[in-house]
Amino acid sequence: MVQSPDIVIVGAGATGLSFAWRLAKQRPDLKILVLERGGHIDQRQGPSLSDDWELALQREFHANPNIRRNSADYPVDETATPIKPAFFNAVGGSTIRWGAHFPRFRPSDFKVHSLDGVAADWPVSYKTLVPYMDINDSIMGVSGLAGDPGNPPRAERPHPPLGSCAGSLRLAKAANRLGWHWWPADAAINSTDAEPGRDGCNNCGPCGMGCPRHARASADIAYLARAQEAGVTLSTHNVVRKIITKGGAATGVETINSDGRTEEISCKELVLAGNAISTNILLTTMSNWENPLLGKGLMLHPTAIVTGFFAEDLKSYSGPFATSIISQEFYETDPKRKFLRGFQLQALRGQGPLSTALGGYGQRLNWGGGHASAFANAFGKSMSLTVTCEDLPEPENRIEVDTKRQDQFGMPIAKMCYRLGANTRQIRDYGVERASEWLRTAGAERLTVTPLSVQAGFHIMGTATMGSEARSSVTGHDGRVHGIDNLTVIDASVFVTASPVNPTSTLQALALRAADLMGRRLAQT
Amino acid sequence: MPDETIIAVLDCLIPGDATGWPAAGQHGLVPRLHELLELLSADGPAQLQTVLSHLPEDFLTLPTDQQTISLQTVESTAPDAFDTVLKACYSAYYTDPGIRRIIEQKTGYEARPPQPLGYEMEPFDESLLEPVRARGPIWRKVP
Repeated sequence: MVQSPDIVIVGAGATGLSFAWRLAKQRPDLKILVLERGGHIDQRQGPSLSDDWELALQREFHANPNIRRNSADYPVDETATPIKPAFFNAVGGSTIRWGAHFPRFRPSDFKVHSLDGVAADWPVSYKTLVPYMDINDSIMGVSGLAGDPGNPPRAERPHPPLGSCAGSLRLAKAANRLGWHWWPADAAINSTDAEPGRDGCNNCGPCGMGCPRHARASADIAYLARAQEAGVTLSTHNVVRKIITKGGAATGVETINSDGRTEEISCKELVLAGNAISTNILLTTMSNWENPLLGKGLMLHPTAIVTGFFAEDLKSYSGPFATSIISQEFYETDPKRKFLRGFQLQALRGQGPLSTALGGYGQRLNWGGGHASAFANAFGKSMSLTVTCEDLPEPENRIEVDTKRQDQFGMPIAKMCYRLGANTRQIRDYGVERASEWLRTAGAERLTVTPLSVQAGFHIMGTATMGSEARSSVTGHDGRVHGIDNLTVIDASVFVTASPVNPTSTLQALALRAADLMGRRLAQT
Repeated sequence: MPDETIIAVLDCLIPGDATGWPAAGQHGLVPRLHELLELLSADGPAQLQTVLSHLPEDFLTLPTDQQTISLQTVESTAPDAFDTVLKACYSAYYTDPGIRRIIEQKTGYEARPPQPLGYEMEPFDESLLEPVRARGPIWRKVP
C-alpha cells in the first residue's frame, strides 16, 4: 500500500482506472492510490470455457448483486423499483459484466433544456468531450464504422466493424425497406488481432461473462496495466466505508479490508468512482455536509424487449450478443409524437440453450406438453430488439440512504425508489410498436414482448448531478462536490440527462477530462 | 419423498416428445437437479420440499394430464418454490451432455462451450448502408 497518497480513488472500474491513468500520465509526481472493494477476475479462465457456462449467469456472473452475492457485493434495497440494480464489484467494475455496446451521446443530449424545455443542460458540451472520447476509444479498443449519419462525423474507429449474422442481415435489409436509420453498433470489442496482448473477437457470443481472448474490453484489461506503468497503485478487497472530513475538506477515508481490519487513509484529493448507489452512500457518511438534491433525479434506461422468431435457422447464438446493429431513427424529439426525447433500438442476438429455455431477454418457454417443440422453434431462430428509453430526471425517482440499517461492512443501505414516468411510458409503448414493425418486416413469424426488462438496472445515472450553479446541482462541471473542493465524483451519478444510449463512452470521456482538470488545478496550488 | 415422485415431476415439466427429445425425469436428471438446487439457490432443497408437499398423495398414480393440473396448482399456490424447481429442472436438462448431443444432432449447435473455438461470422457488408448514407445526417445540431 502506498504511504500518504496524494490522490485516493474509490473504485477500479470504468472511470476509476481511466481517471487514474490519465492523471498519472499528466502528473507523474503525484502518488495515486485506487481502492477497490472487489478482487481481480481472471477473464483468461472465464466461464465461457466451461461446459456449464450458462449456469454462471445465474450465480457469480448474475447482474444483480442481491442475487449474485459475491463476497464484495453489498445489498441494495430494491423493493421500491420495478427495475433491479445491476452492477459488478471487482477490478474492472461493471465492465466485467457488460455487453460492450459503446455508442456516444449525441450533441443534443447535452442541451435537453435548451432544445426541449425539460430537465437541464449539461455544463459540458459534446464538442468538449470528443477529444477524450477519441483517446478512450484508442485505449478501450473500439470496433465500428465511420460515417454514421445518426451522429456527427468523427474519427475512424481503431478496428473495423464486427461481422454480420443472418439475423442482423435480415434486420438491416428490413430497415432499408422501412427507410429507417441503422448502423453497425460501436463495440468496445477488438474485431482484429491488431493490439498486442488482445486477440480479435471470435464471435463466441456471451460477452457478459468476461472474455478469455481479451477481445472485449473491460477497464482492467484496457487501463489497469497502463495505469500501473504510470505509477498508480491498486489495493483490492478494500472497502471504503466512510469519508473523513475536517473543516470543509475531505481529509481521507476509513476502509475495512477482507479480514475485518479497519484503517484510515489520508489524502489531499478524494475521487469517488463507483456508481450512483455507492456514491450516495459515501456522501451520506460525511459529517457537516449535505445537499438536498443528493439522491434526487435517478435515471435508468427502462428497456422493453421485443423478440422475433423466424422460420430460418439464424444460428443467432453466435456473435457478440449486444453489438450487431442499432437504429437511431427515433432518437431525437419529434413534435409529431406524443413524447419528448426518444429511444434507440438495439439488436440482440439469441442465446445458448439454457438461456433460451429460461427466457433470456424475453419470456421463459412454457413447461409441459409442447416444451420440446417450443425450444426447437426458438433456439437459434430468434433476434431481439431492445427499446432503450431516455429517462428524464424526476425528483420522485431517487436513491435513499438508510443510515439506520447496515450491511456486512457496517455501511448504510441504499434504496432505489423508482417508477416509470409518463413520458418514459409513452416512449416505451411507441418503441415497442416500432420494434415489432421492424421485426415483422424482417420476416419474424411470431413476436413476444417484454414490456419492461426487470434485471436491467445497468445504467444508474443522476442523483449527484453536475451543474453550473451550486443551488441546482451537487457537483460542478469537473465533478467537484459543491462545498468540498477536494472531493470529486466521476461516476454516472453526475449525469444531467440520460440519453437513450449506453453511457460508458461518455462516462469515461468525462473521467479523462476530470483528470486533466484536476492535474491542472493541482499544478496551480 | 422417493425419487419416483421427483422423476414424475420432472417428466411433467419437460415431457420430451416423439421427435427424439427425452423426458427430463426418465433421462436420469434427479441427482443433477439436487445438485443444482443447492448450487443455484440458497433455499433450493427446501423449495423442492415445498413443491412436493403441495402435491396430492396419489400424484404418482395419476394420469399425466392430472399430474400436470396438480403442478399447475402448485405453480399458482407456491409460485416461488415452483419457480426455483423449474429453473433447476431447465438448468439440469439443458446443461446435460446427453441433451447437448441431441441439440447438436438436431440444430448443428456443437456440444461444446463457446470458447476457445468461437464461431465463424461473415465480414460486415458496407454496401447495405448505401440508402442510410444517401439520406444524410439525421442528428440534431445544437447552438
